[in-house]
Amino acid sequence: MSAQSHPEPAEGPSRRSMLRGAGAVGAVGIAAAVGVGAASGAATAATRPAADNRAAGGAEHSAGPAGAPLVVYLRDAASGELDIFSGTSHTVLRDPALVARLTHAVR
Amino acid sequence: MSSHREAPEISKDPVADSTDVYAFVSPDRPDTVTLIANYIPLQGPAGGPNFYSFGDDVLYEIHIDNDGDGQDNITYAFQFQTRLRDPNTFLYNTGPILSLDSPNWNSRQFYNVTRIEHGTSVMIGENLPCPPCNIGPLSTPHYATLANEAVHQIANGIKVFAGQRAEGFYVDLGSIFDLANLRPFEELHAQYGMHVFSKPADGVNATAQLNVHTIALQIPTSELLRPGRHGESDPASVIGVWTTASRQQVTLWDDRRGENVNSGPFRQVSRLGNPLFNEVLVPLGSKDLWNSLPPTDDKRFASYVAHPELAGLLPALYPGVFPNLEALVKAGTARADLEAILLTGIPSGIVKGFQNYTGPEQADMLRLNTAIKPTEHPNALGVIGGDLAGFPNGRRVFDDVVTIELRAIAGVTVPLVDKSYRPDAAAALVTDGLTANSVPGGYLSHFPYLGVPHSGFSTPS
Repeated sequence: MSAQSHPEPAEGPSRRSMLRGAGAVGAVGIAAAVGVGAASGAATAATRPAADNRAAGGAEHSAGPAGAPLVVYLRDAASGELDIFSGTSHTVLRDPALVARLTHAVR
Repeated sequence: MSSHREAPEISKDPVADSTDVYAFVSPDRPDTVTLIANYIPLQGPAGGPNFYSFGDDVLYEIHIDNDGDGQDNITYAFQFQTRLRDPNTFLYNTGPILSLDSPNWNSRQFYNVTRIEHGTSVMIGENLPCPPCNIGPLSTPHYATLANEAVHQIANGIKVFAGQRAEGFYVDLGSIFDLANLRPFEELHAQYGMHVFSKPADGVNATAQLNVHTIALQIPTSELLRPGRHGESDPASVIGVWTTASRQQVTLWDDRRGENVNSGPFRQVSRLGNPLFNEVLVPLGSKDLWNSLPPTDDKRFASYVAHPELAGLLPALYPGVFPNLEALVKAGTARADLEAILLTGIPSGIVKGFQNYTGPEQADMLRLNTAIKPTEHPNALGVIGGDLAGFPNGRRVFDDVVTIELRAIAGVTVPLVDKSYRPDAAAALVTDGLTANSVPGGYLSHFPYLGVPHSGFSTPS
């Protein structure tokens, strides 16, 4: 397993694809919401906030507080990459083993 | 419409759907600029029990570019929070609402305002109450007074208001989207051989009885400009303005909590600068993409401005009425007039005594020359009507942007860049048949300028 922080993609998942992905679990796309604590052992990817992420009045980039929802989006199982969303941050994690376990779990 | 429900995806997300942007030198405080961004289109005033409110999960922003590069130098950001006094009643209010802290008002909304400049965010307004929606004579008996309480004086000499207002944009939607069958000229329409119309008719204002939600700022002009000389001919007097709405990237329905949870960075889902830009010029398959992009990407859409689809349709829909426009379109002539009006601003020397040029960067922004003072007797046709204080020099709440843009696309502004072109006689007459008088409640002469919203009791949906 290798955890790696990637540059923000030029065009991240669209709102439409995210909404669709969050609502449907399939062979290619998986969205999962779990507690931060539950995922803490999976990887140690550094959180990289998006460049245009700014929440008015607060910290400009923040992971969710402990216990806040964390959403994992698997856009393309073949890539081995997971998009992880928490608070107002987006982290890209490369973890083929975890991807394999997730795809196996929904078969 | 200006930008109401203009793109497939955003039309499903009304609280994030920008409808109009206005930017003008305040007529009653000419040392200030008023910026208005409207959201939540086509509100039926009687839309209870959950009357309209801003999205608590939406980041609303008004951007100002003051150096012509199409990027914001200053941004005002708004985030809202709804609070229920009593979650165990179905009622929006349990009695008359006589003040913004009325114990009878159950579902209230508050907001923070943040100013962002050079990457630094400063909260300049915190926990500011919105007014309620205008429900009726028993629930909101003194609405105008109540709404005035929601005009807040905040830091740096800024006034702010966020809440419901009467729709000030007027348009004959029914005729325009029935294949551009403009009622004043409907007997001239080809009518696809059906011969339905034989005489002209008056326009019908489709938004006359509807409300919107307004975010309005009145800001000392000096707060917005870059350093330099600020005369009418000086580039430093011109600002570009647009609004955006953003949502966190993930929305997930939490069935245990019975509500959506949001996560991830904010991503832009709606944008608006010049009225009708995305609505009329950008093709259907690209509208939501356009909404997600910054103005600096608008060069990708410049061909739709240079060769607007509507310019080709007018001669076909009105046979023999626009022969010169038809020839212009057939020749493939790029519309440098529209590119200037919408994408770069109008340079000096084109319109006597006027410029709102921001440089060669093509970006859809509402460009306001802040040195041009308000006119005592405004003309709603703005610059093409000889009133340099109106659209496309910014936009005032009463400006007839539908007629202005119809006439511009029909060719009336081509001579600005090509003296040899003679517009068709019809180009200077084309209109949807409405004027500012088509707005039944009119406008206010002071901030926030848009009229008192229609009440649900007297204007049932």
